[in-house]
Amino acid sequence: MTDYGHELLFGTFVTPTAQPVRHAVEQAVVADRAGLDLVTFQDHPYVARFHDTWTLIAYAAARTERVRLTANVTNLPLRPPAQLARSVATLDRLSGGRIELGLGAGGHWDAIASMGGRRLRPGESIEALEEAVQIIRGVWDTDTRGGLTLEGKYYSVRGMKRGPAPAHRPGIWIGAYKPRILRTIGRIGDGWLPSYQYLPNGPDHLASGSAIIDEAAESVGRDPRDIRRLLNITGEFAETSRGFLQGPPDQWVEELTDLALTYGTSVFVLVSDDTTTTEVFAKEVAPAVREEVQRERAAQPTG
Amino acid sequence: MRPRTALIRLGVDIGEFTDPAGAVERAVEAERLGYDYVLAASTEGGLDAWALLSWTAARTERIGLVAAGLDVAEIRPAVLARAAGSLDVLGKGRVTLELRPGPAAAEAVTVLRRMWDTSQRRVHHDGAFRLAGAEPGPLPAHDVRIWIGGDDPNAVKVAADAADGWRAGVPGQDSRQLARTMQLLAKALAEAGRDERELDRVVTLPDTVGAQDVETLASLVTEHGVTTFVLRVDERSPADALERFAREVAPRLNEAAQHAMTEGRFSPVPMRRAEVRAQRVPGIDYDGLPANLAATAVEPGDLLYPTTRSTYLRGGAPGLVLRPQTVDDVVDAVAFAHRHRHVPLGIRSGGHGISGRSTNDGGLVIDLGALNAIEVLDEDRRLVRIGPGARWRDVARALQPYGWALGSGDYGGVGVGGLATSGGIGYLSRKHGLTIDHLQAVDMVLADGSTVRASHAENPELFWAVRGAGAGFGIVTGFEFTVDEVSDVGWAQLAFWVADPADFLLKFGAAVTAAPRETTPFLIMNSSSAQVMAMVATDDPDEILAQLRPIAQIAPLVQQQVVVAPYAAVMNMFPDAPHQGRGEPVSRSGLVTSITPEFAEDSARLLASGAVHWFQLRSMGGAIADVAPEETAFAHRDAAFQITAMGSHPQRVDRWWNELRKHFSGIYLNFESDTSPQRVAEAFPPPVLSRLRKLKAELDPTGLFRDNFTLAENPVGRTA
Repeated sequence: MTDYGHELLFGTFVTPTAQPVRHAVEQAVVADRAGLDLVTFQDHPYVARFHDTWTLIAYAAARTERVRLTANVTNLPLRPPAQLARSVATLDRLSGGRIELGLGAGGHWDAIASMGGRRLRPGESIEALEEAVQIIRGVWDTDTRGGLTLEGKYYSVRGMKRGPAPAHRPGIWIGAYKPRILRTIGRIGDGWLPSYQYLPNGPDHLASGSAIIDEAAESVGRDPRDIRRLLNITGEFAETSRGFLQGPPDQWVEELTDLALTYGTSVFVLVSDDTTTTEVFAKEVAPAVREEVQRERAAQPTG
Repeated sequence: MRPRTALIRLGVDIGEFTDPAGAVERAVEAERLGYDYVLAASTEGGLDAWALLSWTAARTERIGLVAAGLDVAEIRPAVLARAAGSLDVLGKGRVTLELRPGPAAAEAVTVLRRMWDTSQRRVHHDGAFRLAGAEPGPLPAHDVRIWIGGDDPNAVKVAADAADGWRAGVPGQDSRQLARTMQLLAKALAEAGRDERELDRVVTLPDTVGAQDVETLASLVTEHGVTTFVLRVDERSPADALERFAREVAPRLNEAAQHAMTEGRFSPVPMRRAEVRAQRVPGIDYDGLPANLAATAVEPGDLLYPTTRSTYLRGGAPGLVLRPQTVDDVVDAVAFAHRHRHVPLGIRSGGHGISGRSTNDGGLVIDLGALNAIEVLDEDRRLVRIGPGARWRDVARALQPYGWALGSGDYGGVGVGGLATSGGIGYLSRKHGLTIDHLQAVDMVLADGSTVRASHAENPELFWAVRGAGAGFGIVTGFEFTVDEVSDVGWAQLAFWVADPADFLLKFGAAVTAAPRETTPFLIMNSSSAQVMAMVATDDPDEILAQLRPIAQIAPLVQQQVVVAPYAAVMNMFPDAPHQGRGEPVSRSGLVTSITPEFAEDSARLLASGAVHWFQLRSMGGAIADVAPEETAFAHRDAAFQITAMGSHPQRVDRWWNELRKHFSGIYLNFESDTSPQRVAEAFPPPVLSRLRKLKAELDPTGLFRDNFTLAENPVGRTA
């Protein structure tokens, strides 16, 4: 049993479909009104039927009031890091601190190359991600005097003017499954953001992955609690149970509470492009899971 | 607010702000003051222009968004194209890009344009940017213009060779220096063989500019054809900077532009590039289009043409699509059409019309899609005003919160105008009547360009004609309907196995005739199966099932689904996609007063022939028949069913369809693609037709509105 004691957050994972034009924006508004904490959009800049994700986030952020937004996860190979950092900071300030930064090393290399992106091997893409995170944090860090310099293998900046500073410290949540990038998260990330359906060994992977992250964190003197454990989930509300997250809201509450208490997952991001699903998740699942977890934590205080 | 006739375009540059909220406030103010553009460039350490403009897009309605200083060495053009397409559709056609000059800027312009050309499947490019089969799109909402910013000879050359605009790099620079650069630009344009009016020419000014600078700036317009002035502001700018500039400086610049225009050096709407103009159709006076229409018109070389040219079922290649935004624009469009009697004229609301006459080959289309407002006028009377370009799905959505609905057809993607001037046989018809039976008044633009209102009290003869034959009399710009209180409804999809189609039709006919008015079933069938989609206008589940039971018992069910849902959910069941019809639709309509054994037998033979791929019966009767035949130009109030058959070959379809004709009491024009006079005579019984012709002779004596079903006895002019 691992519980990092984080406040629970609930969000949606919305397809950034460009048709109907405002469908994805409407789904963000639905989540905002329903009281969810987070709206996320996948980022596949090589898919023409999708909106550009950060454009969509900016537009949706301007149409919402309270909800936080991020890409889930940003396709780093097609997003220059300094510009990404400025974009996140600008939006974070416009939105009153509601922008987070889901980040991925990239995956579909043929598609990335089709758009003019550089083809990298997995190991290289992780090195590039580490450089990018340094640049992003460097841009945001306006307290440090002098320009930002990084002579990287993949990204280089020389004396770049820092700023703008975001309104809050956006969490850098990294999409990952394998040990090497999990160690990267442990050293420099603010969150681990996998998808339940892609976990190689099902939920056990949450435990083994977290162990790698925790060890890497401790090896550089970080507290494992500095790293949030997020999870994209897929499910369906149904009258009778048909499997994991396929059943009535009560069943969902039980299953998500279990994940939160067993693996320390504190952010549940539901794949939903549908108003009803989002509202049921927000109203019938999220508050109940929060309550259950709180009750369990009170009964059995953990570190 | 600046008058819409302003020639000179004004912008505000907010990229220098350090506080993004303040920048957005200025953008909102600029929009309120009638400025044309908000511009921002990203700088190291500064705000990200794209994020700022994307946010601004969501907080403004109209103002143009110029993402400036884009460095294609940093942002890949393919990704930029995607982002621009996205922002342009989200912001409804307001994006302009300005690239920094650089060795690859001209190439980037090419790549951007290719990424927006959705008529190709993949984009390959070799050079400074390597694209290995990128998917083009999303298609922007308008032709996104690309400017080049900078004063050096390279910037000027790239702008002159490849771009749609040029912006001086340094704000407030010496005007003599600026004049020299602009001479260079004029020379480069001449060398490139381009008309100077193809290019936006933009000068950025510091916030200190004022009345003292007016003459210098005016000379930039008259001497060098500057089209656009952008005022750069930041936190320290005077609070009234934008207002003062618009009030004190802009009017004089506008006069200068007026002067330049008379000399043929200034175009109120940017002129299209030569390669686009080359695709124009002879015989259409493109350059004579009034500026208000030119701003939104689509012609063959345009980015939007591939998704604008065709309708739902018919492929087209119109020479010019006019997209009026206001009633005045419609008046201008009708006047323009008058000058083009030698080419076809299509009127389009949603482009879903079965006959496909809302597109044509080489002619004009007046696309009313922008007139799509839906407004509740009087909540107590449930009086609603709807523009012709609204889609029925949007109407349903807008009325749902009130607990109201207005029956239309069976598909939410259909536009209001074409349906509401003809009939409207839909899922609520048996309970609540035809769509036209809800009409209280229309505002129209007639063939002579006059605007009239027609209702029971005003122009009653026209009001009668509009309800069934509206397309022949003008363009309706606003419909006023009394809508119905409609609770959630029962919605059933029943699929049957059909052993004997004739027997099935007979039983279906009997079941519908016996059904209460709440139930309106539509039947689609072929020779071995049938699908019934039925609405039961009540939210009582037991009542829904009770009313459906006799229909469900007609034949063995292979699939069934019954839900209780809002009417709007039924109208929104199928998503919209751009219309990309090809070829000529072949569709036939017939109305029958009952399903007789003979009709059923002949229909079964038609289905067995394989000549049709679509055969539908829409149930009528009920409230439709409550209205007296002479009340509206749609006179077939005794019809019990509307039959539609579609096939690919007119002769093959007609060979079998002609066997059915003896059963028909009339036809419904909106499902008929044969536009011959005979069909018109079947649609309108003799007294109705002569009454319509009398009014036609009065209101449209020369037959301007002729390219759908023409009412004139001896049609003049070409048909599409």
